[in-house]
Amino acid sequence: MHVVALYWQAIVDGGGVDLELTAIAVAVSVVVGILAAVGRIYGGKLLGGAITVYVEIIRGLPPILQLFIIYFGLSQFQINLSSFSAGLLWLVLYGVGYAVEIFRAGIEAVSVGQREAADALGLTRVQALRRIILPQAWMVMLPSLMTFLVLQVKNTTLLYLVGIADIMYQARLGTSATEQPAIMYGMAAIAYLIINLTLSRIGSTLERRQALYR
Amino acid sequence: MSTLQLWGQYLPQFLAGLVVSLQLTGAALVLALALGTLLVLARTGRIRILAAIATGYVEVFRAVPVLVLLFTAYYSLAQLGLRLPGFWAGVVALGAFYGTLYGEDMRSGLQSVDPGQREAAVALGLSNGAVMRRVVLPQAFLAFLPPGTNELSNLIKDTSLVLTIGVTDLMFQANAAAAATFQPMDMFLLAGLVYFAFYILLSRILARWELNVQRRRS
Repeated sequence: MHVVALYWQAIVDGGGVDLELTAIAVAVSVVVGILAAVGRIYGGKLLGGAITVYVEIIRGLPPILQLFIIYFGLSQFQINLSSFSAGLLWLVLYGVGYAVEIFRAGIEAVSVGQREAADALGLTRVQALRRIILPQAWMVMLPSLMTFLVLQVKNTTLLYLVGIADIMYQARLGTSATEQPAIMYGMAAIAYLIINLTLSRIGSTLERRQALYR
Repeated sequence: MSTLQLWGQYLPQFLAGLVVSLQLTGAALVLALALGTLLVLARTGRIRILAAIATGYVEVFRAVPVLVLLFTAYYSLAQLGLRLPGFWAGVVALGAFYGTLYGEDMRSGLQSVDPGQREAAVALGLSNGAVMRRVVLPQAFLAFLPPGTNELSNLIKDTSLVLTIGVTDLMFQANAAAAATFQPMDMFLLAGLVYFAFYILLSRILARWELNVQRRRS
């Protein structure tokens, strides 16, 4: 059992790396995702079409392949990204592809009457979005945003493949040193379980509180 | 060598990899559907302890990343004495995870059927089995299809994870070719084209099938 005591700190450090990357990537992809969703809905055929194609590509290709294209693929053109920037870039590009769809669904779920009323009151489009539509869309989107957050935490497991020292990396390192995979991957599983269950608990609390407000 | 020549040279290998990916998808899908059915039966059944176990299983296996499940099935089980070949470790890990998703889809499909339908069927004198088979399940299946097919295309993409334990699927072939040719982008792009073509083809077929089922029912 001393293996657990010996490697627990390493796993926790890995978890810190995972959470840091997830937080940055989700923050960026939410902002870009809102803009892209607005572009997809109001941006006309060309911009809307381009964003749709982007979303299809992100959703159609396996995550590992996307990560490898960024890290290994680009090196063919002498673009050598560090592990950290390649990992973060992938999480952001992937996250934007998902966030667009979440925000589009949320915005479209707000009834047309709300938008028309805002128009009739003389609000500009930006004002209408910020003050009327997005606050109402927020409620619809909350569950899918929490799912998205958990998805991104899970996606960080792939980052050990490009050499980022996350939980999986530490667990593999520990396994090759101790030859105790059951314990090391068990610890990794528990670490992810704690992170993801906490996130979904926070999510359902938020949802309940939002529901009370209405 | 030019990109096109390289693609021509490696395409057969990639297609052989695609076949492995598809076999993996098929086997994992069967396991996931079976497990999903068991989970729904346990959660909607009358035996409390089974319902609690099923709920706990869903909570835990949905929160743990598939890659961790894969390494557990491949390395940890081997340490504990159960040595699975890479392919079957992949089937077990993917099936264990997707079983929770399919279970949830089936459950919400069942819940989407209006209780009035069941009551009407009972009032008409249908037996319990007939109510399920002729009234509830056909409607539940309709609601289950869209999320179910969506899950399937995610499952196909997730089979690419078995590259990490050395199963020679499409992703593995792409990675091997990238290392051999020193032209990683060309090779990964070819893999991307194969995956993407398959993804588009499959979503077209599934969408058509969904439409047919809906039309026949209404």
